[in-house]
Parts: sequence; C-alpha cells; structure tokens
Amino acid sequence: MNYIIAIPLLPAAVFGLFFVLPRRIRNRMLYLPLAAMAGSFVLSIPAFLSAWPGGEDAVRTGTWHVAYRLGTIGTGPLDVILRLDPYAAMMLLVVTIVGLGVQIYSLSYMRGEERIGWYYAVLSLFTSAMLLLVLAGDYLLFYMAWEVMGLCSYLLIGFWFTDNAARNASIKAFLVTRVGDVGFAVGLAIIWVTVGSFDFHAVLPAATTWGPGVATAVALLLLFGAMGKSAQFPLHVWLPDAMAGPTPASALIHAATMVAAGVFLVARSLPIFEVSGVAMHAVLLIGGTTALLGATMGAVQYDIKKVLAYSTISQLGYMFLGLGTGNVAAGLFLLLTHAFFKSLLFLGAGSIIHSLHTQDMREMGGVASKMKVTTVTFTIGALALAGIPPLSGFFSKDLILDSLWAGHHYVAFAVALSTAMLTAFYMTRLWLRVFPGEPRDTKHAGGHESDWKILSPMVVLSVITLGIGFSAIVFAKFIAGEAAWPQLVMGSTSTLVALVGIVIAWVLFGGGRDTEERTARSSFVYLLVSNKYFLDYPYEHIALGYTRFSEGVNWFDRVVINGVVNGVGVACRQGGGLLKRMQTGRVQTYQRLVLAGVIAFIVIAVYLRGV
Amino acid sequence: MRVGMEFFIGLSAILFCLGLYGALSKRSAVMILMSLELMANAVNINLVAFSRFVTPKVMTGQFFAVFMMVVAAAEIGLGLALVLALYRQTQTIEVQFLNELKG
Repeated sequence: MNYIIAIPLLPAAVFGLFFVLPRRIRNRMLYLPLAAMAGSFVLSIPAFLSAWPGGEDAVRTGTWHVAYRLGTIGTGPLDVILRLDPYAAMMLLVVTIVGLGVQIYSLSYMRGEERIGWYYAVLSLFTSAMLLLVLAGDYLLFYMAWEVMGLCSYLLIGFWFTDNAARNASIKAFLVTRVGDVGFAVGLAIIWVTVGSFDFHAVLPAATTWGPGVATAVALLLLFGAMGKSAQFPLHVWLPDAMAGPTPASALIHAATMVAAGVFLVARSLPIFEVSGVAMHAVLLIGGTTALLGATMGAVQYDIKKVLAYSTISQLGYMFLGLGTGNVAAGLFLLLTHAFFKSLLFLGAGSIIHSLHTQDMREMGGVASKMKVTTVTFTIGALALAGIPPLSGFFSKDLILDSLWAGHHYVAFAVALSTAMLTAFYMTRLWLRVFPGEPRDTKHAGGHESDWKILSPMVVLSVITLGIGFSAIVFAKFIAGEAAWPQLVMGSTSTLVALVGIVIAWVLFGGGRDTEERTARSSFVYLLVSNKYFLDYPYEHIALGYTRFSEGVNWFDRVVINGVVNGVGVACRQGGGLLKRMQTGRVQTYQRLVLAGVIAFIVIAVYLRGV
Repeated sequence: MRVGMEFFIGLSAILFCLGLYGALSKRSAVMILMSLELMANAVNINLVAFSRFVTPKVMTGQFFAVFMMVVAAAEIGLGLALVLALYRQTQTIEVQFLNELKG
C-alpha cells in the first residue's frame, strides 16, 4: 500500500530535477513531467479502488495511513500523517486526470515559450502539492501543501512577468490569499491548544466536546482561510485578475484544483462546523453571496477568460451553499463535476484564444464553422455549467437545491435558483458571441482547428462531463453523504429556470443582436455590476494607504535617520575645517592658546574652590 | 619696614609676566630667548624666596636655583646655536615666517 506515497512524490521529484537542470536541457525533457504525471495517475487508480466501497467508517478513519514522527511540541507529538480515505481517493483521480490533460494540452499551447521547462516544473510542483494536500492526514501537512500551492499559483499567474498586468495580478493573488491564510493559521493554533494534535482523526471526533465558542472560532477561522483560497466574497478579487496567467494553468489551478482546496478544507472540517450553528450559517451566507455576485459580474464581462473566472467564483460559492446544508455530498459532488467541466471550458477557451489571438469576445464570432471539435466540446461544457440535463452540472446543482430545500434554507434556495438562471444566461451570452455567425473582426478571423494535443484532453473531459452526473448516488455512498435521483418537480424547476436564462440571453444577443451596448450601458445596475460592485476600491484604498504609510516610513528613514547619521559626519568635517584654521604653524599662536587654557583652568579652579 | 615674602613673590610675578609677554609678542627669535631667560629667573627668585622663608634650615631651594642657572646657561647656548643655524637656512630670525609646523 505504501506505493501511495509515490503519487505526490513523482511530480515533486520532477520539480527537483528541473530546478537544478539548466534551461536548455530541461526545455527538451518535457516528456519527464508528463511521464511522472501519468505515473501518478496510474497509481491513483489502485489507490482509488483500495478505498472502495467507502462509507462512514472509511471516511472517519481512512483505509490506509502512515505517520512519521517529527518530534514533539510541548507534550503533544508532532506527526506527519498521510492517509487515504474516500475524499482523498476521489480527489486523487480528479487532480491526476485534469493535471495530465493540462500537461498534454500545454505541450502545444506553450510550444516555443522560452521558459517552458520552468512552466512544467512549477506545474509539477503544484500537482505534487495538491496531491499531498488531499492525502494529508493532519492539518499541518495540509497547511504546508496549501502554502506551496499558493506559491505555485503566484509563479504561474506571473509567468509572463514582463507584462505589468500579469505581475500585478500575481502579487495581488498572493497577498489576498495570504490574508485568508492568516485566519487559517490562527485556527490551527487554536486547534493545537485545544486538542494537542493536528491529526484529523484526533481533532474531528473531539470537536463535539469543545463547546460552541471554541468550535465557532475555529470553524470561522478555517472558513476565512478557505475564503481566501477559494475566492469567496469578499476575498474573491484576486481570481479574475489571475487570468493573466497561461490558460492551461488557469484551467488546472484556478478552475479545477487549487481554488477547490478551500471547499475541500471545509468539507474535511465539517464535523467542527456542525458543532456550531453560527459557522454553518456563515458558510451559507458567504456561499450564497458569492454565488450571486460572481454570476452577475460574469454576465457583463467581455474577456472570455474573465467570464469563466467569475463563473468559477460563483460555482465555488455554490459548493459552499451545498456544504452549508451539512450534506457533504452536495458540496463535493459539484466540486467533482465542476473540476471536469470548468477545466474543459478553460481548455476550450484556450483553444479559441490560441487560434484567434484575442480574448475579447467582441472581436470573436464565427468560431463554430471553423473549429468543429472545440465547438462541440465547449458546448458540452457550457450546457453542463448551465445545468441542462442529463449533463453532470444538472445533477450536482439538483443535489444542492434539494439539500437547501430539505434543510428549510429558503432564502439560500432562492439565491441558488437565481444564480442558476444567471449562469445559464451568461454562458449563453458567451456562446452566442463566440460561436455562431461571422467573425466580427477580420484581424482575428483565425480559422484553424487546434492540433490533437489540445483537442484530446478536451474530448476526454467532455466525455467525463457527459457521463459522471449519473454517478451521484454511488458517489454519495462512497463519501458517506446523502443523494437521491432528481425528483420531477425540483428537476424540472431548475431546468426551466436555466432555460429561462438561455431564452433571455437569446432574445438579447441571438442572431448577432447586441442590445447590451445600447440599452443597458446607461443603467445604474449595469454600472454597478460592470464595475465589480466597486469591491476593488476598498482594497485599492487599503493598498494605497499602506503605500502611503510605507512612503512615510521611507521618508523618515531617508530624512531623519539618514539625516542624523550624515549630520554627524558633516558636522565633524565642517568642525574640522574650522579648527584647521587654528593650526597656523606659528609657535607663538600655540603658546597664546596654552596661556589662555591655563588662565581658563585657573579661573575655573578659583571659581570652584571659592578662594 | 620689613621686607616679607610677598615682595619677592610680587617681583617674581612681574618678571614672569614681562618674560611671558616678550615670549608671546616679540618677532625676533633672540628677543624670545631673552624673554625665556627672564621667566626662568622669575622662577629662580621664587625658589630662593620660598627656601628662605618657608624652610630656612634646609637649602634645597637654593641649590635648585643654582642648578637652574646652569641649565639656563646650557639652554641659552643651545638656543642661540639654533638661531644661528636658522639664520643660515632662511636668512631671517623673525618667527612670523617660521610656520612650517602647519598641519
């Protein structure tokens, strides 16, 4: 069973090797990360099967675990624990499948990049960290992998660092997620003080004995960390900017895996949340707010990647809504299906960008007639995201709506339903702008389908997207959640709502119409939404205030501290210059001074002795 | 009128001040040497006076005065030799031109 350790180690070894190899050599060794990734994938299959058939006990204790004693802190042992349980088993497959697809895709998408070897190295390190995170059996290892992913995200967003936007976006992403991580770290400290261990198996069952105060504090702090990583309101501002990175990296990190790590953390820690009613409501509140805000903002973007980024924010909020009902299957099933269809959408968008050399949807159009495979696979992804049966998105959405209704969370239910409509709306808007008709801009007519390296991962992902929805019941049993087949009323309601969204978008944008510019631009709501609810402004002011403060400190250092130091030097030199004049070289002058000194001493002595 | 110690000390002080004034203000090196002699003799008067009035039985002060006269004679010989050497080098004995010690 210890082969499981090799799953995260293989990509990590590739990173280590690429880190020391010179650029010219590693650029020609791209088969190595691919091989490592494929190895991880192959090893994940028996690992997944060994966790079968899952269930309550498997989730609680794990089906395999190994611990390394690092030492002790105070009285508690400090262990590094790897464990395999149904959550981890499921995530292993998701991460390795999407990771492998993205690596194959990148061979073509990133071809000719000068630093492609480094790109693959960071991609490998990222995958390794994500696999380590899902296999982590204690919070400390989890946190470590979490931070490594943050670093990789920073490096990949800023991959084209000569571009100012990319550099600023990478710094923003790093800083904003760091804000959440502080909360996470404090939560971990409280866990250590309360339990004296980081082991999931020790911490989670003990949560019921903590009392609601401690549990609430820990749950809210962990949620804060998850909000930073999973781009939840109000810490969502970094994700749209993160689209400055390479598209395949966005597909892997900012759609399928890393941003889902926050959801995964809350799902893992759900026993702590369930002790505290406040925390569960906070999860619902954050999730609902984010889902709705993200969907509205996605509806007014012109950059194809930004639409998908806001859609990701919105869908992650949806996952939190699912977890907020206490039904872990509702949140994790959307995580699973979303990982596949959203990475599919990102890869499809990448294929279009690669061919048309633009990200602006106003310059696109007519893609359908030239890029057949991309069109079909992207449409499957879009329909899944919109929640049209029988695609995977429909089942996961239905599971969440069901859980919300059953849990009497009617406000959250209404929010979720409106989000579903908006989701269908913005995806239709995107589709209508990009695929049918003629190219709007002859500069970006494009006109060639991408090669097989780009298309094959998309085809595989769209097949998974078509089929995986039907696994809902089995999946729920595997991870010890609850799920049922969609009921007629709920299923038809959500489908109807999605269709309404599609029809509205069709009326507004179908057949090459573009009413957005003419009618909506002037309205207050449009202004509010297209400016991202002005949510960036407080952050800008915080950043600006901090910059001013730094400038003040810099001024103090430069003028006052440096001034004192330099002042001493200048005073000595000037004083020396003045005293130099006294050195006339004439002995009689010196004698006079000696006499003056003697007289001075005498005067002082007389004055002091009072003769 | 009895001549007390204060007369000797007063004379000595006047002589010393005259010598000091000369040493500080005269331009000729020879004049400065002479002023130094005045100051040395002022000290001599002091020594003898103290010896006479403070320790009349012991002659230490008197002997010191004798020693000082010997040293002063040697000193003035050396000083005048220096002034002569100086004159040969620089064709002048005016100290205002002797400012080679400037740093």
